[in-house]
Amino acid sequence: MTTSAILQAINGTSLAALLFLVASGFTVTFGLMRVVNMAYGAYYLLGGYVGLSLAEATGSFALGVLGGGLAIVVLGYLVDRFLIRYTGENHLAQVLLTVGLAFVIGDVALKIWGGDSLKVPLPPALRGAMELPGGLVYPTFRFALIVFGLVVAGLLWLLYTRTPIGAVVRAGVDDREQVAATGIDVDRLFVMVSALASFLAGTAGVVGGAFLTLYPGAEWEILVVALVVVIVGGLGSLGGAMIGALVVGLLDAYGRWLLPEFSYFVLFGPMAVLLLLRPRGIAGREA
Amino acid sequence: MTPARLAVAVALVAAAVALPHVAGPFWMGLVTQMIVFGLLALSVDLLLGHAGLFSVCHGSFFAVAAYTTAILQVRYGVPTALAAPAGLVAGTLLGLVFGLAVRTRGVYFILITIAFGYVVWGVAHRWSSFTGGDNGVTNVPFPAVGSWRVESHVEYYYLALAAAALLALGYRVLVRSPFGLALRGIKGSESRMRTLGYDSNRHLYAAFVLSAVLASMAGVLYVYYNRFVNPVAASFPVSVEAALMAIVGGTGTIAGPFIGSAIILGLRNWVSSFFELYAAVMGLVFIVAVLWVPEGLVGLALRLSGRTARG
Amino acid sequence: MSAAVEVAELVKEFGGLRAVDGVSLRVPSGERRVLIGPNGAGKTTLFHCVTGTLAPSAGRVTFFGRDVTRLPEHRRTALGMGRTFQISNVIADLTCLENVTLAALGTDPRKWMVQRPVTALVDVRRAAQASLELVGLAPQAGETVRRLSYGEQRQLELALALTARPRALFLDEPCAGLSPSERARIARLIGGLPRTLTVLMIEHDMDVALGLADRVTVLHRGRVILDGPPAEVQSDPQVREVYFGHV
Repeated sequence: MTTSAILQAINGTSLAALLFLVASGFTVTFGLMRVVNMAYGAYYLLGGYVGLSLAEATGSFALGVLGGGLAIVVLGYLVDRFLIRYTGENHLAQVLLTVGLAFVIGDVALKIWGGDSLKVPLPPALRGAMELPGGLVYPTFRFALIVFGLVVAGLLWLLYTRTPIGAVVRAGVDDREQVAATGIDVDRLFVMVSALASFLAGTAGVVGGAFLTLYPGAEWEILVVALVVVIVGGLGSLGGAMIGALVVGLLDAYGRWLLPEFSYFVLFGPMAVLLLLRPRGIAGREA
Repeated sequence: MTPARLAVAVALVAAAVALPHVAGPFWMGLVTQMIVFGLLALSVDLLLGHAGLFSVCHGSFFAVAAYTTAILQVRYGVPTALAAPAGLVAGTLLGLVFGLAVRTRGVYFILITIAFGYVVWGVAHRWSSFTGGDNGVTNVPFPAVGSWRVESHVEYYYLALAAAALLALGYRVLVRSPFGLALRGIKGSESRMRTLGYDSNRHLYAAFVLSAVLASMAGVLYVYYNRFVNPVAASFPVSVEAALMAIVGGTGTIAGPFIGSAIILGLRNWVSSFFELYAAVMGLVFIVAVLWVPEGLVGLALRLSGRTARG
Repeated sequence: MSAAVEVAELVKEFGGLRAVDGVSLRVPSGERRVLIGPNGAGKTTLFHCVTGTLAPSAGRVTFFGRDVTRLPEHRRTALGMGRTFQISNVIADLTCLENVTLAALGTDPRKWMVQRPVTALVDVRRAAQASLELVGLAPQAGETVRRLSYGEQRQLELALALTARPRALFLDEPCAGLSPSERARIARLIGGLPRTLTVLMIEHDMDVALGLADRVTVLHRGRVILDGPPAEVQSDPQVREVYFGHV
């Protein structure tokens, strides 16, 4: 029984790593630019598909990950510049616009890659399983994902808290007008942060596509779970996204294991508790 | 009501009543759908256009009501007289629970309703032993109360039309009441309303539950028309589209959500007949609507004729 | 006979900053009390704590003998507090009449009515129109507030506070942003209010303040530095320094 429990803990943590990749971009984009971008799920899916095709064509998983991320950086930039920019701070408009965009991307992706579940091919080094202390056997890739997630989280955290750019972003999340008043090129900052967020979403797609597979509808499923992470962790908080991802990832894994038919219901729990006790999330800023 | 508006209303009513006699079953079915989804859009607009809250989970109440009624009728042989109200009650109960969301505002509220909506979809999708999973619940009979029973789609069309008319009338009374005005006040300035003595959270909660009731009624009407329900009814696209219908038609009005419903459903029907990527087209409609027609068609028409949109 | 408003050692902290740092005051019923002080002195924050918009970090607020420190603001309104905001806080997309109607219904259980149109409540309508007449906005009753001039919106702001027949009125810079004639009008209105109503006012315009006040309280950096009749405050050297010597 306990080995299963431990296995689920690892499952949950690997899912948390993936969720963090998607949620961190969303939450920082909102915190800094006050933009709600519901197309992040579609970015994940499209990035995954592009990475898949690249990996299959070149035989390199790394290229796939990189390519998937870069493709979304380009798409994200175009979307920001030609669509989202016109919505100002109107969140309703942003939600509808980006949902519409997600529909377009999803439908086009369906046409190009079809409706079957596709799996991103893994390099031989990451295939198969490895043995953990205690005799547990676990898929190598998912373990690597946890490591990857930790590395990315660590790098982002360093970037956010230890670099001058990170300090500017943090200041911007707290008070945008003040940052603009200091003469820093706010527009360029936004473009860079948005590009990073897009890159993370795109690579998440490739990485996720290697074990969750890619299929029509996946863009909404990942988005909703990422939203729960952001709600629980608080909009605009990177640390909150980390904690939220872990909470949600573990709940999801245990939920699927213990109550498979009600696993979605398990997600409802923490949100309801939060709403009752602290409507602003664990570490959130004013919406 | 001005003479011009009255004339338009009469013409519309006449057209609606005459429809089954001049058009085939396809059109009648389409208009029935427009009515049902128009009601759903209306329920979303009670919150959006009057209270200023953008809820994207109304498909949940719609679906829960539909599923409850369907399962009771099909699996347990419960008659309409009990199954229909039960559906309504079920959707309302869910509304009472999801109403927790009004403890938040703005973006948080939107995100939470999205997540709530997904929970219901997920349960409908995964709890296949009870909900039938992706296959849903089929073979829902036409409604029958006592000796009266609906025998055809034409009869159901008139039933839906009458129900919608009654609900729209009730909605009109609601939005013109002190409660309705209070909602619009909260939408305008919650801080001001609180200092005037209004407990805004309570008002918003009440509005949320009322909108869930309306969405549930739409769900019951839907399941008897469609004769079947599956998880798609609770899906995010349905909830989002309901909001879009209200926006395209004109928020804060009564006709707006129905007009929006007619446009969206009509457009989808037309486009899907010749273009495979019609979901992409609907996505483009979202984008266009947001960027170029934010006040909706009713708002646009009123603005062009020199008046403001007053519900 | 308890005071209308009594504040005891009130503190409001934001992060590490004490916007209100131990303020105490006592306003007897019927008094016209004016709060003055340079920008950032904590006047508006103090108002927010007394009317319930913000919860204080420490201290007590008593209203006609009743401890209201933890009471939510809509309940304080029911007890008889009325307030205006420094920046016009009116409901822009509704008409003037609708705005004051909402004010009239704010403490009335009929605000929950769903089955009859609001226009059917004749007594409410009359009270609302009377409010508009009092501030001179009767001709604009059917006008959408967004279309009014700023001065007219300030008038409406005052009407909103007065409509529910408060026992104490909290006015936050009612003359801010107005032309001299508009200021005179507002000053006249406030001066004409009955003595059954207690008035607390934040004001920057010294003429208006000293003309209306029975007593003046001077705030500086979240603390009361002087509390006395207008003449005393006007000639006090500390006040002069705070206002004119302070950069």
